[in-house]
Amino acid sequence: MNDSTLLESKEIAATKHSWIWFALTSGLVLIFLVSLFLGRYPQAGFVQPGQLRENELARLLVFNVRLPRLLTALLLGMVMASAGTVFQMIFANPLVEPGFLGVSQGAAFGAALGIVFLGASSVAVQGLAIIFAFIGLGFSYLLARRMHIGDWLLRLVLAGIAVSALFSAGVGIIKFMADPMRQLPEITFWMLGGLASITWTKFLSILPACLVGLAIMLIFRWRLNLLALEETTAFSLGAAPRRERLLLMTAAVLATAAIISVAGIVSWVGLIMPHIARGLFGSDTRRSLPAAMLLGGIFAILCDDLARLLIIGEIPLGILTSLLGALIFVILMARRRQAVPA
Amino acid sequence: MSEALLSFEAVAFGYSRQRQVFTDLNYDLEKGSLAVLLGPNGAGKTTLLYMALGWLLPTAGTVCLSRRPLQSYTRGELGRRISLVPQAEHLPYTYSVLEYVQFGRAPHLTLVEMPGQKDHRVAREALARAGISALADAPMDKLSSGERQLAVVARALAQEPEILLLDEPTAHLDLGNQYRLLQTLKELNRAGVTILMTTHDPQIALAISTQTVLVEGNGKVRVGTAEQIITAETLTHLYHLPAGAIEIRPNRSGIWLRQL
Amino acid sequence: MKKRWLWLFLLISLLLSACTNPTVTQPATQSSAELPTETSPALTLTDALGRTVTLDSLPQRIVVTGKASLMVLDAMYMFPEARERVVAFEDLAQGDVNFISLLDPNYAEKAWLQRDAGVEQFISAEPDLVVMKSSNAEKYGAPIEAINISVVYVDFETPEQYARDLGILGKIFGNPQRAEELAAYYQGKVDAINAALPEEVTRPSTLMLQYALKDGAVAFTVPPLSWMQTRLVEMAGGTVAWQDVQASSGWTTVTIEQIAAWDPDVILIVAYNDDPSTVVASLKEDAQWKTLRAVQDGKLLGFPKDLYSWDQADTRWVLGLQWLATVLYPEQLKPENLMPAVREFYQFAYGIDSATFEAQIKPALQGALP
Repeated sequence: MNDSTLLESKEIAATKHSWIWFALTSGLVLIFLVSLFLGRYPQAGFVQPGQLRENELARLLVFNVRLPRLLTALLLGMVMASAGTVFQMIFANPLVEPGFLGVSQGAAFGAALGIVFLGASSVAVQGLAIIFAFIGLGFSYLLARRMHIGDWLLRLVLAGIAVSALFSAGVGIIKFMADPMRQLPEITFWMLGGLASITWTKFLSILPACLVGLAIMLIFRWRLNLLALEETTAFSLGAAPRRERLLLMTAAVLATAAIISVAGIVSWVGLIMPHIARGLFGSDTRRSLPAAMLLGGIFAILCDDLARLLIIGEIPLGILTSLLGALIFVILMARRRQAVPA
Repeated sequence: MSEALLSFEAVAFGYSRQRQVFTDLNYDLEKGSLAVLLGPNGAGKTTLLYMALGWLLPTAGTVCLSRRPLQSYTRGELGRRISLVPQAEHLPYTYSVLEYVQFGRAPHLTLVEMPGQKDHRVAREALARAGISALADAPMDKLSSGERQLAVVARALAQEPEILLLDEPTAHLDLGNQYRLLQTLKELNRAGVTILMTTHDPQIALAISTQTVLVEGNGKVRVGTAEQIITAETLTHLYHLPAGAIEIRPNRSGIWLRQL
Repeated sequence: MKKRWLWLFLLISLLLSACTNPTVTQPATQSSAELPTETSPALTLTDALGRTVTLDSLPQRIVVTGKASLMVLDAMYMFPEARERVVAFEDLAQGDVNFISLLDPNYAEKAWLQRDAGVEQFISAEPDLVVMKSSNAEKYGAPIEAINISVVYVDFETPEQYARDLGILGKIFGNPQRAEELAAYYQGKVDAINAALPEEVTRPSTLMLQYALKDGAVAFTVPPLSWMQTRLVEMAGGTVAWQDVQASSGWTTVTIEQIAAWDPDVILIVAYNDDPSTVVASLKEDAQWKTLRAVQDGKLLGFPKDLYSWDQADTRWVLGLQWLATVLYPEQLKPENLMPAVREFYQFAYGIDSATFEAQIKPALQGALP
């Protein structure tokens, strides 16, 4: 291959990429706008823009209920997908999720505590969820330090499994003590994830943490590639792998914990979207991380639409993301167009 | 006599109290040389190499780069002057060769920068120097082991280093690929890159080295030219094998094993 | 390449600008001298969470949602206005027939909400008031208030709360007289039992157990001390046999050994999904249960229920109370007066006449009724 054909093929690749970027971005914007106007009121289907002007209830519904809810869904998708990418790179393992280091189960434990013992007040549930998410992470970290098997990353994974199991048992105990009429269903619903009770207040309360986390992950996205390499190689490239990994993990966990605290446990977004992003743009996180963010946003909004529109009740968001996420996973694996990297 | 680019001064190192690899190591790597660390497995070659990298810290003594201790350099500075081609580079995900080689630009970028036009150009030059320009868009996991090794070398070259460290670079290569790699290393050395590499194969030392460092395993090293170091007695003693070395003609030496 | 983004930007701007399209201009306002007419007086009330809720007029479109809305609905339908003004609720039942379907001819159109129906789901009912149990406040309250729909929280968990919350409903329906009537009725029954209880008599130790299949096995559970079930035992003049069960927020499983250790005088079996009499009959055959003194004395009884069980914090708790009193003190409170009292309750509270009672309620009666 001489240089000119090389250049051409590179240009073709670049053109293809830029079309996909365009498709993803416009897809996200369009699905956001469509979802904003789609609902059951004032009629099943779309709210006419004119109706927004005249009908106060419709206007309030769209701007005070749907808009913060959609923004939270968008944030959820973006945070989970990018946190998933970060963890999959750091642990060099395509099967890890943002919450796996005891973060998800810790948050669940905190929320259950809030629901059963502190009167299920929003603030208590949210606050305890975040606190225990970090406690979960802290326990995993401390436990990993005391272990002697294998290398650092393996130890973290094992510690994460152990801590998650511990908190999971804790949730089981709290469920046992919970009032089956009022509190138990609330815990169950929380653990299945959902955005039904999102208001502007809740959205704004998690916005700073999420923006900080997202910003850090975006800024350091190319550096993330280095952190997936062996420690000696990363060192030889002038990186401080331990510190940089810690920084990125903290950013990812901060944003993830904030999201979990208002939305409950929503899984599979952080597992699947990085895969698809890598399939579209290659593994270089310079591109695959922002791509995962866009994909995550689209996916989360789509699932949330189904959650509130499919039946005249509210389907927990986690169920839909798991269902659709697992389906996509199966389809991806079955296609085998791309060999799964060793 | 060229200046010592890298020097080990009274260096001691041990993985544990029982396992002292070096007790009093003194060795100079001269600028422009192509030095080969030779010795049996476990003797300490890799340890020495990783001390040169700065990854392993000596328990006593200092390793100096341009007469300043390695610790006094920032990691970025070190990365711009010394680069490493590890024995096996494990990539968890698949990148294109060009994307991978661009990782080598990391020491020249700040924490928040990403490779730009200049880095792109340097990466392409590194590919050219390694002789694999044609493979720029190929995925790393589809390369043969020889091509892959050259890609790693290209990545190390993208750092624009003064010293190139290699750990058993020919370990998994067949004869043809070995030759190709060694040829590339020799050309780089001629172009001014100082090279320090480990191997357990004396033939490689004979083929390309300007300086052979025999790491015997008792904490001592012997430095000299390949012909000086690689003699029948040395080999037999080192590998506990009946072996011999003869000079076939000037600049051509051979190693043979006595028939069993 | 930049052009695409321009087109996208244009498309978005078009979509958004459509929203701000000026519509038909508002009709000119009347002269400022005109006073606004009042249709009905504004009402202010304090709900179960202590919130002050102000409504401009009597709500005409009330939606009942959230968890455990069944009990709230039963209470609301004791007011005749409920038929017109309650417009949507969940299709709930404890059994085959939903009680409200007997009271409201438009039941089918109204019972379309599903579990956990949030704002998005019930807003098409265009409510002007949402009534929920206070335990739903955090989860469902905030988005409803975000669209300026008033929410009133009630409890209906204890007799005291019944008195208070009936008053709240009275204000909502603009019928405080009815609220007072109902409260007086309930209080009257409690007082009557109190008055009839003999002085200085040992109050029978009473154990209330729920029979249910839990995780595939039969389990007997006792209710928390704060719940209506426990209050019924106390108000009927019994001693709570499970006083020492750790404070819990749900039904707690107890073993047969524990039941034997308590050695209660009377054992009541509550079964939401089975016929309590059938359960009692099978327990009487059980070798272990046969050894219990209460069983030998014939004091193992199924707690009555019709469409809903009478033990819960539902409007029927007054029936459960009266029944229990006749069980514990049959001499002072004659069992033969119970059934007339039941009919009287349905007539008074729900306007259910004799014919409907015979047809719909009586066949559903289960438990140890005289």
